[in-house]
Amino acid sequence: MRIGKGMLSIIICVFLVLSLSGCWNRRELDTFSILMGMGIDKAEELGKIQLTAQIVKPGDLKSEGGSDAKAYFTVQAIGDTVFDTVRNFTKETNRKIYLPHSQVLIFGRDIATEGVQKYTDFFVRDHETRLRTHVLVARGEAGKILDVESKLEKVPAVGISHLLKAQNATSEAIEVDLKQFICRLMSKTTAPIAPLIEISGEGEKETLRIPGIAVFKQDKLAGELTGGEARGLLWVIGEIKSGIIIIDCPSGEDKISMEIIRASSKVIPKIIDDQIYITVKIEEEGHIGDQECPDKLSLPDIKELEQKKASVIRSEVLASLEKAQKLNTDIFGFGEAVHQKYPKQWDDLEKRWDDVFPEIEVEILVDARVRRSGTLIESVSQ
Amino acid sequence: MKIEKGIIASSQLTFMIIGFIQASNLLLSFSSGIVSHDAWLAILIAMVLSIPFVLSYAALGREFPGKNLIQISDIIYGVYLGKIISVSYVFIFFALVCQNLRYFSDFLITFIFPETPIWAILIMLTFISAWAVRAGIEVIARCSFIIIAIASTIILATSLLLLPDMRFRNFLPILDVPLQDLIHGTHIIFSINYLEIVVFLMVIAFVNKPKQIKTSMVGGLILGGVSVLILEVRNTAVLGTVSEIVSSPSFVTARYISVAEVLTRMEMFVAIMLITTVFLKVSILYYAVVLGSAQIINLRSYVPLVIPIGISAISFSIILAGSSMEQIHSAIYTWPVFILPFQLFPVLSLFIVKIRKKFKKRWANKK
Repeated sequence: MRIGKGMLSIIICVFLVLSLSGCWNRRELDTFSILMGMGIDKAEELGKIQLTAQIVKPGDLKSEGGSDAKAYFTVQAIGDTVFDTVRNFTKETNRKIYLPHSQVLIFGRDIATEGVQKYTDFFVRDHETRLRTHVLVARGEAGKILDVESKLEKVPAVGISHLLKAQNATSEAIEVDLKQFICRLMSKTTAPIAPLIEISGEGEKETLRIPGIAVFKQDKLAGELTGGEARGLLWVIGEIKSGIIIIDCPSGEDKISMEIIRASSKVIPKIIDDQIYITVKIEEEGHIGDQECPDKLSLPDIKELEQKKASVIRSEVLASLEKAQKLNTDIFGFGEAVHQKYPKQWDDLEKRWDDVFPEIEVEILVDARVRRSGTLIESVSQ
Repeated sequence: MKIEKGIIASSQLTFMIIGFIQASNLLLSFSSGIVSHDAWLAILIAMVLSIPFVLSYAALGREFPGKNLIQISDIIYGVYLGKIISVSYVFIFFALVCQNLRYFSDFLITFIFPETPIWAILIMLTFISAWAVRAGIEVIARCSFIIIAIASTIILATSLLLLPDMRFRNFLPILDVPLQDLIHGTHIIFSINYLEIVVFLMVIAFVNKPKQIKTSMVGGLILGGVSVLILEVRNTAVLGTVSEIVSSPSFVTARYISVAEVLTRMEMFVAIMLITTVFLKVSILYYAVVLGSAQIINLRSYVPLVIPIGISAISFSIILAGSSMEQIHSAIYTWPVFILPFQLFPVLSLFIVKIRKKFKKRWANKK
């Protein structure tokens, strides 16, 4: 019996309707819980880890003013490996965790000291995670950080991510995403870095604060850079976005605050007689933002300001260099710079880089400029 | 008696080759672990090396206008030896169909549909390719322009959006890998990404202006090669060392796009580009298998063979490798060596034809 053409098309249509209406992995919005931030800590039980997940409640995101309902909740789970623990969340939440919107990944202090390498694989291997996720290190327990409410954002993890962006204003901490962290982790010499985060204040006044940068040796937390030290690192790796440099007035009393507008850097390695010399060239441009002294600044004064600014920058770089050499962590990527310029000598150097790095002599050349004086030509004086 | 009545323009041949090579950017991860950040160099060297081979394929096609690989082997090597050669080529093309299907399905399963069984994807892709093959070479050739237009736009757009994230220091120092690794990586790219276009010996017989075959083949090779090069440069500049460990750097790189946190999650465009170009590549290979087998057994039409060959391609793709790791291992260590003779063979054929011609002339002169 022949099936007519019309009949055949109807059969095909029915078949297509049945088979093309969805795929195996279709998931509706109301069947998964959207993860916004994740913290990794050591569990009390030996050898196990504890994950804290911050999950958004989409319904409460929209509620305006009135309701006090939090737009998020946090859950904790304990397991042997990261993936195991992520799945263990389903024991407490009725929906499966959905990873792609994750904003932050926070390592607790204890886990960072022990080594983070074994906990990073999952976040790169899994098909749902994204390399844009921010990596942070908590001073203390990562789980507690995720419990702190954000004053401005509905979801604290978003607050943390914005807080990191805001650090551009001082350039005393750095935004690090998973890709940058992994790249440094995979390098044999360059040390990984990540911003630190801590809880400041108590009770109602509890807020989150970024105190500086955590420095790793291989994958283990080695130390911290704070304030000027942290900015010293950013000068060298060219990540300075803005910031304030305080110098003395030409008269000696009172202070002038200079705003950094733009900065760039160059790392130039040189090998002379098996000895490595590194030249760091920093160019900076900025303007006067705040002058306490009533002096009228003459042109030679401006030149003096520029020199003072340069010496402040130099001292910041020196402070971070001293710290890095003491910790023996190549946070500046000097090893990579030598590798790129002297690939032949590198094979030998790479093996003994740990002995070489603390002894490296670094020359710091700073070219700092004052370009403008704000909206005033002269200072406000009596 | 002519088994395929279609005629394609020489520009369509160029488009087909571009799309064919663009599809193979999925296969770049085979070599990226070996040549690390020098992959761009390996791609460039492999491209330059493949030009003489492609020229000789074109020359072989011109020696026998209107004849494809199967008919050419019959003429050069006689009926019996020619048949053996044709059968082995058809087998190789069949294996290529299966490998491309399998690797592409593995990619889709890894990144997009983790719990979908592989046969579901294989059936859909093979079905649509079978449809194209049934419709004939003209239809595939006409598709190719649309497909490469989509693919090239996506390549350029994603590269532009990633410009702020590119760090060109990632390429330093140039020539960092040992020479033998560079040769190994270049060989993989040479025989898997470029010289698979030996399959076009089955197609160039249908080009309307045989004189332009040479330019359109080399043009297609270079344009396709450049777009693969752009992708590789983009991936290494953005991802750095991470691009050496991920199984699809292009996809992961596109996932990294974030322009002002508004323009994000562009990776599906890369998936669209891969789906369309892999469809083109599989269709061309599939068509070569079907046409070749029909010619070997002297059929009047190749249409009855489309479905049976498609079904066997699906089952062969499934049993091809136990795991994607197995397939990657074979692609790195065995396949490039295995397929190389088949890519060099047309050059030998051309050589034989030229010598024979010369002797014939001399003979004629003596008489």
